[in-house]
Amino acid sequence: MTVYESDLPGVGKKHEVELGDGARLVIVTHNTGKREVFRRASADSDSEKLFELDDELARQVGTLLEGAYFQPVETTDIETLLGDSTLLEWVEVSPDSDVAGKTLGESDLRQATGASVIAIERDDEVITSPGGETPIEAGDTLIVIGPRESCREFAALVKGA
Amino acid sequence: MAAELLEFGYLFVVLAVTGAVALRLGLSVIPLYVVGGVVVGPYVAGRFGLPYVADGEVVTLLAELGIVLLLFFLGLEFSLDRLRAARSNIGRAGAIDLVVNLPLGVVIGLALGWSVVEAFLLGGIVYISSSAIVTKTLIDLGWIADPESEPILGTLVFEDLAIAVYLAAVTSLVLGGEGGLAAIGRSLAIAFGFLGLLLVLVQYGTPLFTRVLDVENQEAFVLRALAVVVPVAGAALALGVSEAVAAFFVGMGFSTSGHRETIERRLTSVRDVFAAIFFFWIGLGTDPTLLAAVVVPLVVAVVLTTPAKVVSGYLGGRVYDLSTHRSLRVGVGMVPRGEFSLVIAALAASGSTQVMREAIPAFAVGYVLVMSALGTVLMQRSDLVERLVFRGGSAKADS
Repeated sequence: MTVYESDLPGVGKKHEVELGDGARLVIVTHNTGKREVFRRASADSDSEKLFELDDELARQVGTLLEGAYFQPVETTDIETLLGDSTLLEWVEVSPDSDVAGKTLGESDLRQATGASVIAIERDDEVITSPGGETPIEAGDTLIVIGPRESCREFAALVKGA
Repeated sequence: MAAELLEFGYLFVVLAVTGAVALRLGLSVIPLYVVGGVVVGPYVAGRFGLPYVADGEVVTLLAELGIVLLLFFLGLEFSLDRLRAARSNIGRAGAIDLVVNLPLGVVIGLALGWSVVEAFLLGGIVYISSSAIVTKTLIDLGWIADPESEPILGTLVFEDLAIAVYLAAVTSLVLGGEGGLAAIGRSLAIAFGFLGLLLVLVQYGTPLFTRVLDVENQEAFVLRALAVVVPVAGAALALGVSEAVAAFFVGMGFSTSGHRETIERRLTSVRDVFAAIFFFWIGLGTDPTLLAAVVVPLVVAVVLTTPAKVVSGYLGGRVYDLSTHRSLRVGVGMVPRGEFSLVIAALAASGSTQVMREAIPAFAVGYVLVMSALGTVLMQRSDLVERLVFRGGSAKADS
Protein backbone atom coordinates (compact mmCIF):
# COMPACT_ATOMS: atom_id res chain seq x y z
CA MET A 1 0.00 0.00 0.00
CA THR A 2 1.33 3.43 -0.90
CA VAL A 3 0.12 6.60 0.76
CA TYR A 4 0.84 9.97 -0.83
CA GLU A 5 0.83 13.01 1.40
CA SER A 6 0.62 16.58 0.21
CA ASP A 7 0.20 19.96 1.78
CA LEU A 8 -2.83 22.09 0.93
CA PRO A 9 -1.78 25.60 1.99
CA GLY A 10 -4.52 27.35 3.91
CA VAL A 11 -6.69 24.24 3.89
CA GLY A 12 -4.88 21.34 5.52
CA LYS A 13 -3.39 18.08 4.30
CA LYS A 14 -4.28 15.55 1.67
CA HIS A 15 -3.55 11.84 1.81
CA GLU A 16 -4.11 9.52 -1.12
CA VAL A 17 -4.23 5.78 -0.55
CA GLU A 18 -3.82 3.36 -3.45
CA LEU A 19 -6.65 0.86 -3.40
CA GLY A 20 -5.04 -1.68 -5.70
CA ASP A 21 -7.50 -1.54 -8.60
CA GLY A 22 -6.09 1.77 -9.84
CA ALA A 23 -8.52 3.69 -7.69
CA ARG A 24 -7.45 5.96 -4.87
CA LEU A 25 -9.02 6.89 -1.60
CA VAL A 26 -8.42 10.59 -0.98
CA ILE A 27 -8.65 11.95 2.54
CA VAL A 28 -8.57 15.71 2.99
CA THR A 29 -7.91 16.74 6.57
CA HIS A 30 -8.92 20.37 7.04
CA ASN A 31 -7.14 22.59 9.55
CA THR A 32 -10.47 22.79 11.33
CA GLY A 33 -10.30 19.04 11.95
CA LYS A 34 -12.98 18.18 9.41
CA ARG A 35 -12.18 15.15 7.24
CA GLU A 36 -13.51 14.76 3.73
CA VAL A 37 -13.20 11.38 2.09
CA PHE A 38 -13.24 10.99 -1.68
CA ARG A 39 -12.73 8.16 -4.11
CA ARG A 40 -11.02 8.62 -7.43
CA ALA A 41 -11.74 5.73 -9.77
CA SER A 42 -8.68 6.33 -11.96
CA ALA A 43 -5.94 8.89 -12.44
CA ASP A 44 -7.99 10.67 -15.11
CA SER A 45 -11.32 10.77 -13.38
CA ASP A 46 -12.50 13.31 -10.88
CA SER A 47 -12.76 12.58 -7.22
CA GLU A 48 -16.17 11.65 -5.98
CA LYS A 49 -16.96 12.68 -2.46
CA LEU A 50 -18.03 9.81 -0.27
CA PHE A 51 -18.62 11.47 3.09
CA GLU A 52 -17.31 13.98 5.59
CA LEU A 53 -16.82 13.74 9.33
CA ASP A 54 -15.93 16.17 12.05
CA ASP A 55 -12.74 15.62 14.02
CA GLU A 56 -14.21 13.63 16.90
CA LEU A 57 -16.35 11.39 14.73
CA ALA A 58 -13.42 10.80 12.36
CA ARG A 59 -11.30 9.53 15.26
CA GLN A 60 -14.05 7.23 16.46
CA VAL A 61 -14.65 5.82 12.99
CA GLY A 62 -10.89 5.52 12.62
CA THR A 63 -10.57 3.30 15.69
CA LEU A 64 -13.51 1.25 14.47
CA LEU A 65 -11.77 0.64 11.17
CA GLU A 66 -8.61 -0.15 13.05
CA GLY A 67 -10.48 -2.80 15.01
CA ALA A 68 -9.58 -1.19 18.26
CA TYR A 69 -12.73 0.58 19.21
CA PHE A 70 -13.66 0.48 22.85
CA GLN A 71 -15.73 2.41 25.31
CA PRO A 72 -14.33 1.78 28.80
CA VAL A 73 -17.54 2.19 30.71
CA GLU A 74 -20.05 -0.14 32.28
CA THR A 75 -19.80 -3.27 30.16
CA THR A 76 -17.43 -5.95 31.40
CA ASP A 77 -16.50 -7.20 27.95
CA ILE A 78 -14.22 -4.55 26.59
CA GLU A 79 -10.94 -5.39 24.97
CA THR A 80 -8.39 -3.86 22.69
CA LEU A 81 -6.07 -5.84 20.53
CA LEU A 82 -2.42 -4.78 20.70
CA GLY A 83 -0.37 -6.37 17.99
CA ASP A 84 -1.50 -9.84 16.95
CA SER A 85 -2.24 -11.68 20.16
CA THR A 86 -1.94 -9.32 23.09
CA LEU A 87 -5.10 -7.99 24.65
CA LEU A 88 -5.87 -4.97 26.77
CA GLU A 89 -8.97 -5.81 28.74
CA TRP A 90 -11.21 -4.14 31.29
CA VAL A 91 -12.42 -6.50 34.03
CA GLU A 92 -14.90 -5.43 36.66
CA VAL A 93 -14.61 -6.86 40.18
CA SER A 94 -18.02 -8.06 41.33
CA PRO A 95 -18.90 -7.94 45.07
CA ASP A 96 -18.86 -11.74 45.36
CA SER A 97 -15.51 -12.07 43.64
CA ASP A 98 -12.80 -13.99 45.52
CA VAL A 99 -10.26 -11.23 44.99
CA ALA A 100 -12.39 -8.41 46.42
CA GLY A 101 -10.77 -7.26 49.65
CA LYS A 102 -7.39 -8.82 48.92
CA THR A 103 -4.34 -6.87 47.82
CA LEU A 104 -3.00 -7.37 44.34
CA GLY A 105 -0.09 -9.39 45.78
CA GLU A 106 -2.35 -11.66 47.84
CA SER A 107 -4.62 -12.40 44.92
CA ASP A 108 -1.65 -13.81 43.00
CA LEU A 109 -3.45 -13.25 39.73
CA ARG A 110 -0.39 -12.73 37.60
CA GLN A 111 1.23 -15.98 38.65
CA ALA A 112 -2.04 -17.84 38.19
CA THR A 113 -2.96 -16.47 34.78
CA GLY A 114 -0.01 -14.65 33.19
CA ALA A 115 -1.96 -11.43 32.72
CA SER A 116 -0.91 -8.28 34.60
CA VAL A 117 -2.94 -5.47 36.06
CA ILE A 118 -1.61 -2.20 34.69
CA ALA A 119 -4.22 0.15 36.17
CA ILE A 120 -7.24 0.15 38.45
CA GLU A 121 -10.25 2.35 37.88
CA ARG A 122 -12.03 3.15 41.13
CA ASP A 123 -14.98 5.54 40.84
CA ASP A 124 -13.51 8.55 39.06
CA GLU A 125 -9.97 7.78 40.06
CA VAL A 126 -7.37 5.78 38.17
CA ILE A 127 -4.48 4.08 39.97
CA THR A 128 -1.75 3.52 37.41
CA SER A 129 0.94 0.86 37.77
CA PRO A 130 -0.51 -0.49 41.03
CA GLY A 131 1.98 -2.28 43.31
CA GLY A 132 1.48 -5.62 45.08
CA GLU A 133 0.23 -3.87 48.23
CA THR A 134 -2.65 -2.15 46.38
CA PRO A 135 -6.00 -3.45 47.68
CA ILE A 136 -8.64 -4.61 45.22
CA GLU A 137 -12.15 -3.51 46.09
CA ALA A 138 -15.51 -4.68 44.87
CA GLY A 139 -16.63 -2.40 42.04
CA ASP A 140 -13.09 -1.72 40.79
CA THR A 141 -12.35 -2.10 37.13
CA LEU A 142 -9.01 -3.77 36.54
CA ILE A 143 -7.20 -2.94 33.32
CA VAL A 144 -5.33 -6.03 32.34
CA ILE A 145 -2.76 -6.77 29.68
CA GLY A 146 -1.58 -10.16 28.48
CA PRO A 147 -1.97 -12.89 25.89
CA ARG A 148 -5.54 -13.58 24.86
CA GLU A 149 -5.79 -16.88 26.81
CA SER A 150 -4.35 -15.34 29.98
CA CYS A 151 -6.84 -12.52 29.82
CA ARG A 152 -9.72 -14.97 29.45
CA GLU A 153 -8.52 -16.94 32.49
CA PHE A 154 -8.00 -13.73 34.42
CA ALA A 155 -11.53 -12.54 33.72
CA ALA A 156 -12.99 -15.91 34.69
CA LEU A 157 -11.08 -15.90 37.99
CA VAL A 158 -11.97 -12.35 38.97
CA LYS A 159 -15.60 -12.62 38.10
CA GLY A 160 -15.64 -15.39 40.67
CA ALA A 161 -17.20 -18.20 38.76
CA MET B 1 -23.82 58.81 20.30
CA ALA B 2 -27.20 57.14 19.89
CA ALA B 3 -27.21 58.04 16.20
CA GLU B 4 -23.80 56.47 15.66
CA LEU B 5 -24.72 53.30 17.49
CA LEU B 6 -27.90 53.04 15.48
CA GLU B 7 -25.91 53.50 12.29
CA PHE B 8 -23.63 50.67 13.33
CA GLY B 9 -26.62 48.52 14.09
CA TYR B 10 -27.80 49.26 10.56
CA LEU B 11 -24.40 48.27 9.20
CA PHE B 12 -24.47 44.91 10.95
CA VAL B 13 -28.04 44.22 9.84
CA VAL B 14 -27.01 44.81 6.23
CA LEU B 15 -23.94 42.57 6.63
CA ALA B 16 -26.03 39.83 8.21
CA VAL B 17 -28.66 40.03 5.49
CA THR B 18 -26.19 40.09 2.58
CA GLY B 19 -24.27 37.24 4.23
CA ALA B 20 -27.48 35.23 4.43
CA VAL B 21 -28.25 35.95 0.77
CA ALA B 22 -24.75 34.84 -0.23
CA LEU B 23 -25.13 31.58 1.68
CA ARG B 24 -28.53 31.00 0.15
CA LEU B 25 -27.30 31.60 -3.40
CA GLY B 26 -24.04 29.78 -2.84
CA LEU B 27 -22.03 32.90 -3.70
CA SER B 28 -18.97 34.32 -2.01
CA VAL B 29 -19.78 36.78 0.76
CA ILE B 30 -17.08 39.22 -0.33
CA PRO B 31 -18.79 40.76 -3.40
CA LEU B 32 -22.14 40.79 -1.62
CA TYR B 33 -20.78 42.70 1.38
CA VAL B 34 -19.44 45.25 -1.10
CA VAL B 35 -22.80 45.50 -2.84
CA GLY B 36 -24.50 45.88 0.56
CA GLY B 37 -22.18 48.78 1.30
CA VAL B 38 -22.89 50.44 -2.04
CA VAL B 39 -26.65 50.12 -1.61
CA VAL B 40 -26.93 51.55 1.90
CA GLY B 41 -24.07 54.00 1.41
CA PRO B 42 -24.24 57.74 0.81
CA TYR B 43 -24.23 57.37 -2.98
CA VAL B 44 -27.35 55.21 -3.29
CA ALA B 45 -29.50 55.24 -0.15
CA GLY B 46 -28.17 58.73 0.63
CA ARG B 47 -29.11 60.09 -2.78
CA PHE B 48 -32.63 58.75 -2.52
CA GLY B 49 -33.06 60.36 0.90
CA LEU B 50 -33.20 56.99 2.65
CA PRO B 51 -31.39 56.28 5.91
CA TYR B 52 -27.77 55.57 4.99
CA VAL B 53 -24.46 54.68 6.59
CA ALA B 54 -21.98 57.54 6.24
CA ASP B 55 -18.42 56.83 5.18
CA GLY B 56 -17.24 58.15 8.55
CA GLU B 57 -14.04 57.96 10.55
CA VAL B 58 -15.14 55.10 12.79
CA VAL B 59 -16.12 52.80 9.92
CA THR B 60 -12.86 53.65 8.18
CA LEU B 61 -10.89 52.78 11.31
CA LEU B 62 -12.66 49.45 11.76
CA ALA B 63 -12.20 48.68 8.06
CA GLU B 64 -8.50 49.41 8.53
CA LEU B 65 -8.45 46.81 11.32
CA GLY B 66 -10.03 44.44 8.81
CA ILE B 67 -7.12 44.93 6.38
CA VAL B 68 -4.61 44.48 9.18
CA LEU B 69 -6.21 41.24 10.39
CA LEU B 70 -6.60 39.84 6.85
CA LEU B 71 -2.89 40.24 6.23
CA PHE B 72 -2.00 39.13 9.75
CA PHE B 73 -3.75 35.83 9.07
CA LEU B 74 -1.97 35.52 5.76
CA GLY B 75 1.35 35.90 7.58
CA LEU B 76 0.35 33.22 10.07
CA GLU B 77 0.23 30.73 7.21
CA PHE B 78 3.77 31.57 6.22
CA SER B 79 6.50 29.54 7.79
CA LEU B 80 10.02 29.06 6.56
CA ASP B 81 8.85 25.69 5.24
CA ARG B 82 6.39 27.48 3.02
CA LEU B 83 9.10 29.77 1.74
CA ARG B 84 11.36 26.83 1.04
CA ALA B 85 8.51 25.10 -0.80
CA ALA B 86 8.13 28.29 -2.83
CA ARG B 87 11.52 27.65 -4.39
CA SER B 88 10.38 24.60 -6.30
CA ASN B 89 7.22 24.09 -8.36
CA ILE B 90 5.39 26.82 -6.50
CA GLY B 91 8.10 29.27 -7.47
CA ARG B 92 7.94 28.39 -11.16
CA ALA B 93 4.16 28.36 -11.42
CA GLY B 94 3.97 31.54 -9.35
CA ALA B 95 6.57 33.31 -11.46
CA ILE B 96 4.66 32.50 -14.66
CA ASP B 97 1.48 33.83 -13.04
CA LEU B 98 3.32 37.02 -12.04
CA VAL B 99 5.05 37.79 -15.34
CA VAL B 100 1.88 37.21 -17.36
CA ASN B 101 -0.71 39.04 -15.29
CA LEU B 102 0.98 41.95 -13.51
CA PRO B 103 2.56 43.50 -16.64
CA LEU B 104 -0.68 43.00 -18.55
CA GLY B 105 -2.50 45.17 -16.01
CA VAL B 106 0.26 47.77 -16.13
CA VAL B 107 0.04 47.88 -19.93
CA ILE B 108 -3.73 48.33 -19.78
CA GLY B 109 -3.25 51.21 -17.33
CA LEU B 110 -0.62 52.89 -19.49
CA ALA B 111 -2.81 52.44 -22.57
CA LEU B 112 -5.56 54.28 -20.73
CA GLY B 113 -3.16 57.19 -20.37
CA TRP B 114 -2.61 56.70 -16.65
CA SER B 115 0.65 57.48 -14.89
CA VAL B 116 3.14 54.72 -14.11
CA VAL B 117 2.11 54.50 -10.45
CA GLU B 118 -1.57 54.39 -11.39
CA ALA B 119 -0.92 51.71 -13.99
CA PHE B 120 1.10 49.76 -11.43
CA LEU B 121 -1.88 49.86 -9.08
CA LEU B 122 -4.08 48.50 -11.86
CA GLY B 123 -1.51 45.78 -12.46
CA GLY B 124 -1.74 44.66 -8.85
CA ILE B 125 -5.53 44.67 -8.86
CA VAL B 126 -5.79 42.43 -11.92
CA TYR B 127 -2.85 40.23 -10.88
CA ILE B 128 -3.90 38.98 -7.48
CA SER B 129 -6.43 36.16 -7.27
CA SER B 130 -8.68 35.83 -4.27
CA SER B 131 -7.38 33.23 -1.81
CA ALA B 132 -10.69 33.30 0.06
CA ILE B 133 -12.97 32.78 -2.94
CA VAL B 134 -10.72 30.33 -4.79
CA THR B 135 -10.11 28.15 -1.74
CA LYS B 136 -13.75 28.06 -0.78
CA THR B 137 -14.81 27.15 -4.32
CA LEU B 138 -12.17 24.41 -4.47
CA ILE B 139 -13.67 22.88 -1.33
CA ASP B 140 -17.26 23.34 -2.50
CA LEU B 141 -16.62 21.72 -5.87
CA GLY B 142 -14.53 18.87 -4.45
CA TRP B 143 -11.51 19.90 -6.56
CA ILE B 144 -9.60 19.98 -3.31
CA ALA B 145 -9.14 16.20 -3.60
CA ASP B 146 -7.85 16.38 -7.18
CA PRO B 147 -4.33 17.10 -8.41
CA GLU B 148 -5.24 20.59 -9.67
CA SER B 149 -5.64 21.84 -6.10
CA GLU B 150 -1.87 21.75 -5.52
CA PRO B 151 -0.76 24.17 -8.25
CA ILE B 152 -3.75 26.41 -7.50
CA LEU B 153 -3.06 26.65 -3.77
CA GLY B 154 0.68 26.80 -4.39
CA THR B 155 0.29 29.74 -6.76
CA LEU B 156 -1.94 31.48 -4.24
CA VAL B 157 0.88 31.12 -1.69
CA PHE B 158 3.30 32.71 -4.14
CA GLU B 159 0.85 35.54 -4.82
CA ASP B 160 0.41 36.16 -1.09
CA LEU B 161 4.12 36.64 -0.73
CA ALA B 162 4.34 38.74 -3.89
CA ILE B 163 1.52 40.96 -2.65
CA ALA B 164 3.41 41.66 0.57
CA VAL B 165 6.41 42.93 -1.39
CA TYR B 166 4.13 44.74 -3.85
CA LEU B 167 2.15 46.53 -1.12
CA ALA B 168 5.35 47.59 0.59
CA ALA B 169 6.59 49.21 -2.61
CA VAL B 170 3.30 50.67 -3.77
CA THR B 171 2.44 52.19 -0.38
CA SER B 172 5.54 54.31 -0.46
CA LEU B 173 4.91 55.23 -4.09
CA VAL B 174 1.35 56.34 -3.34
CA LEU B 175 1.93 58.05 0.00
CA GLY B 176 5.32 59.57 -0.72
CA GLY B 177 5.19 59.94 -4.46
CA GLU B 178 4.64 63.68 -4.72
CA GLY B 179 8.08 65.14 -4.27
CA GLY B 180 9.78 63.61 -7.26
CA LEU B 181 12.35 60.89 -7.48
CA ALA B 182 14.27 61.79 -4.30
CA ALA B 183 11.12 61.65 -2.19
CA ILE B 184 10.13 58.32 -3.67
CA GLY B 185 13.59 56.99 -2.97
CA ARG B 186 13.44 58.23 0.59
CA SER B 187 10.04 56.73 1.30
CA LEU B 188 11.07 53.43 -0.26
CA ALA B 189 14.17 53.43 1.93
CA ILE B 190 12.09 54.10 5.04
CA ALA B 191 9.63 51.38 4.07
CA PHE B 192 12.16 48.69 3.45
CA GLY B 193 14.24 49.81 6.43
CA PHE B 194 11.26 49.50 8.75
CA LEU B 195 10.16 46.20 7.25
CA GLY B 196 13.73 44.88 7.35
CA LEU B 197 13.91 45.75 11.03
CA LEU B 198 10.57 44.07 11.60
CA LEU B 199 11.76 41.00 9.72
CA VAL B 200 14.82 40.73 11.95
CA LEU B 201 12.58 41.05 14.99
CA VAL B 202 10.28 38.37 13.61
CA GLN B 203 13.21 36.10 12.80
CA TYR B 204 14.84 36.32 16.23
CA GLY B 205 11.84 37.25 18.31
CA THR B 206 10.03 33.92 18.22
CA PRO B 207 10.70 33.20 21.93
CA LEU B 208 9.33 36.64 22.73
CA PHE B 209 6.23 36.08 20.61
CA THR B 210 5.77 32.71 22.30
CA ARG B 211 6.00 34.22 25.77
CA VAL B 212 3.60 37.07 25.04
CA LEU B 213 0.86 34.61 24.16
CA ASP B 214 1.63 32.06 26.89
CA VAL B 215 -1.66 32.55 28.67
CA GLU B 216 -4.56 30.18 29.15
CA ASN B 217 -7.26 32.80 29.50
CA GLN B 218 -9.01 33.23 26.17
CA GLU B 219 -9.76 36.91 26.59
CA ALA B 220 -6.21 37.76 27.61
CA PHE B 221 -4.90 35.76 24.66
CA VAL B 222 -7.02 37.57 22.08
CA LEU B 223 -6.22 40.98 23.57
CA ARG B 224 -2.49 40.31 23.66
CA ALA B 225 -2.42 39.18 20.04
CA LEU B 226 -4.22 42.38 19.03
CA ALA B 227 -1.95 44.39 21.31
CA VAL B 228 1.02 43.25 19.25
CA VAL B 229 -0.28 43.40 15.71
CA VAL B 230 -2.34 46.62 15.82
CA PRO B 231 0.33 48.94 17.30
CA VAL B 232 2.98 47.60 14.90
CA ALA B 233 0.65 48.17 11.95
CA GLY B 234 -0.17 51.63 13.26
CA ALA B 235 3.49 52.54 13.67
CA ALA B 236 4.12 51.36 10.12
CA LEU B 237 1.36 53.52 8.72
CA ALA B 238 2.57 56.52 10.71
CA LEU B 239 5.92 56.13 8.93
CA GLY B 240 4.23 55.85 5.54
CA VAL B 241 4.89 52.12 5.41
CA SER B 242 2.19 49.62 4.49
CA GLU B 243 0.30 48.66 7.63
CA ALA B 244 -0.87 45.54 5.83
CA VAL B 245 2.65 44.32 5.20
CA ALA B 246 3.67 45.08 8.79
CA ALA B 247 0.73 42.96 9.95
CA PHE B 248 1.79 40.24 7.52
CA PHE B 249 5.25 40.16 9.09
CA VAL B 250 3.86 40.04 12.62
CA GLY B 251 1.75 37.11 11.48
CA MET B 252 4.88 35.41 10.19
CA GLY B 253 6.48 35.98 13.59
CA PHE B 254 3.59 34.26 15.32
CA SER B 255 3.47 31.42 12.80
CA THR B 256 6.46 29.73 14.42
CA SER B 257 5.55 30.60 17.99
CA GLY B 258 3.62 27.40 18.57
CA HIS B 259 0.46 29.46 19.02
CA ARG B 260 -0.57 29.54 15.38
CA GLU B 261 -3.50 27.18 15.69
CA THR B 262 -4.78 28.81 18.85
CA ILE B 263 -4.60 32.21 17.19
CA GLU B 264 -6.50 30.92 14.19
CA ARG B 265 -9.12 29.32 16.38
CA ARG B 266 -9.65 32.29 18.65
CA LEU B 267 -9.18 35.22 16.31
CA THR B 268 -10.89 34.01 13.16
CA SER B 269 -14.23 35.43 14.23
CA VAL B 270 -12.60 38.74 15.14
CA ARG B 271 -10.98 38.88 11.72
CA ASP B 272 -14.23 37.94 9.98
CA VAL B 273 -16.12 40.76 11.68
CA PHE B 274 -13.56 43.43 10.74
CA ALA B 275 -12.98 42.01 7.26
CA ALA B 276 -16.73 42.16 6.63
CA ILE B 277 -16.70 45.81 7.72
CA PHE B 278 -13.77 46.40 5.37
CA PHE B 279 -15.65 45.01 2.35
CA PHE B 280 -18.73 46.96 3.37
CA TRP B 281 -16.66 50.13 3.72
CA ILE B 282 -15.25 49.64 0.23
CA GLY B 283 -18.87 49.61 -0.95
CA LEU B 284 -19.69 52.75 1.04
CA GLY B 285 -17.01 54.71 -0.76
CA THR B 286 -18.15 53.54 -4.18
CA ASP B 287 -20.28 55.87 -6.26
CA PRO B 288 -22.05 53.64 -8.79
CA THR B 289 -22.15 56.52 -11.27
CA LEU B 290 -18.34 56.44 -11.23
CA LEU B 291 -18.61 52.80 -12.26
CA ALA B 292 -20.17 54.04 -15.47
CA ALA B 293 -17.13 56.23 -16.00
CA VAL B 294 -14.75 53.28 -15.73
CA VAL B 295 -16.81 50.95 -17.86
CA VAL B 296 -14.30 51.03 -20.72
CA PRO B 297 -11.25 50.03 -18.66
CA LEU B 298 -13.46 47.53 -16.88
CA VAL B 299 -14.55 45.77 -20.05
CA VAL B 300 -11.02 45.84 -21.46
CA ALA B 301 -9.61 44.40 -18.24
CA VAL B 302 -12.19 41.65 -17.94
CA VAL B 303 -11.80 40.64 -21.57
CA LEU B 304 -7.99 40.58 -21.46
CA THR B 305 -7.20 39.41 -17.94
CA THR B 306 -9.61 36.46 -17.80
CA PRO B 307 -7.90 34.53 -20.61
CA ALA B 308 -4.50 35.69 -19.35
CA LYS B 309 -5.13 34.08 -15.96
CA VAL B 310 -6.41 30.93 -17.63
CA VAL B 311 -3.27 30.73 -19.77
CA SER B 312 -0.84 31.43 -16.91
CA GLY B 313 -2.68 28.94 -14.70
CA TYR B 314 -2.61 26.38 -17.50
CA LEU B 315 1.16 26.79 -17.80
CA GLY B 316 1.45 26.53 -14.01
CA GLY B 317 -0.46 23.26 -14.11
CA ARG B 318 1.96 21.99 -16.76
CA VAL B 319 4.84 22.85 -14.42
CA TYR B 320 3.26 20.38 -12.01
CA ASP B 321 3.11 17.77 -14.80
CA LEU B 322 -0.65 17.76 -14.89
CA SER B 323 -2.59 16.68 -17.97
CA THR B 324 -3.83 19.40 -20.31
CA HIS B 325 -7.36 19.08 -19.07
CA ARG B 326 -6.38 19.39 -15.41
CA SER B 327 -4.00 22.25 -16.25
CA LEU B 328 -6.86 24.12 -17.84
CA ARG B 329 -8.77 23.76 -14.60
CA VAL B 330 -5.84 25.30 -12.75
CA GLY B 331 -6.19 28.29 -15.06
CA VAL B 332 -9.93 28.54 -14.57
CA GLY B 333 -9.45 28.16 -10.83
CA MET B 334 -7.24 31.24 -10.62
CA VAL B 335 -9.77 33.62 -12.21
CA PRO B 336 -11.70 34.89 -9.15
CA ARG B 337 -10.34 38.16 -7.74
CA GLY B 338 -11.39 39.54 -4.40
CA GLU B 339 -10.05 40.79 -1.10
CA PHE B 340 -6.52 41.79 -2.11
CA SER B 341 -7.64 43.72 -5.16
CA LEU B 342 -9.84 45.68 -2.77
CA VAL B 343 -6.94 46.20 -0.34
CA ILE B 344 -4.98 47.72 -3.23
CA ALA B 345 -8.01 49.86 -4.14
CA ALA B 346 -8.22 51.11 -0.55
CA LEU B 347 -4.57 52.07 -0.77
CA ALA B 348 -5.12 53.83 -4.10
CA ALA B 349 -8.00 55.82 -2.58
CA SER B 350 -5.53 57.49 -0.21
CA GLY B 351 -3.53 58.75 -3.18
CA SER B 352 -3.45 62.27 -4.54
CA THR B 353 -4.59 62.09 -8.15
CA GLN B 354 -8.16 61.86 -9.32
CA VAL B 355 -7.52 58.55 -11.03
CA MET B 356 -6.28 57.11 -7.72
CA ARG B 357 -9.06 58.55 -5.61
CA GLU B 358 -11.99 57.88 -7.93
CA ALA B 359 -11.29 55.79 -11.00
CA ILE B 360 -9.16 53.03 -9.45
CA PRO B 361 -11.41 52.26 -6.45
CA ALA B 362 -14.51 52.26 -8.67
CA PHE B 363 -12.70 50.10 -11.20
CA ALA B 364 -11.59 47.67 -8.48
CA VAL B 365 -15.08 47.29 -7.09
CA GLY B 366 -16.57 46.65 -10.52
CA TYR B 367 -13.70 44.32 -11.43
CA VAL B 368 -14.00 42.29 -8.22
CA LEU B 369 -17.77 42.00 -8.63
CA VAL B 370 -17.39 40.73 -12.19
CA MET B 371 -14.37 38.50 -11.63
CA SER B 372 -15.57 36.89 -8.40
CA ALA B 373 -18.86 35.96 -10.07
CA LEU B 374 -17.36 35.07 -13.46
CA GLY B 375 -14.54 33.07 -11.86
CA THR B 376 -16.84 31.00 -9.69
CA VAL B 377 -19.23 30.34 -12.57
CA LEU B 378 -16.34 29.31 -14.84
CA MET B 379 -15.12 26.92 -12.14
CA GLN B 380 -18.60 25.44 -11.71
CA ARG B 381 -18.97 25.04 -15.48
CA SER B 382 -15.38 24.09 -16.23
CA ASP B 383 -16.68 21.24 -18.37
CA LEU B 384 -18.05 23.81 -20.81
CA VAL B 385 -14.76 25.72 -20.78
CA GLU B 386 -12.88 22.51 -21.49
CA ARG B 387 -15.15 21.65 -24.38
CA LEU B 388 -14.78 25.16 -25.76
CA VAL B 389 -10.99 25.18 -25.51
CA PHE B 390 -10.32 21.63 -26.61
CA ARG B 391 -13.22 21.41 -29.10
CA GLY B 392 -14.90 18.24 -28.01
CA GLY B 393 -12.57 16.42 -25.68
CA SER B 394 -9.46 15.98 -27.81
CA ALA B 395 -7.64 16.97 -24.64
CA LYS B 396 -7.89 13.52 -23.13
CA ALA B 397 -6.13 12.09 -26.12
CA ASP B 398 -3.08 14.28 -25.96
CA SER B 399 -2.75 14.38 -22.19
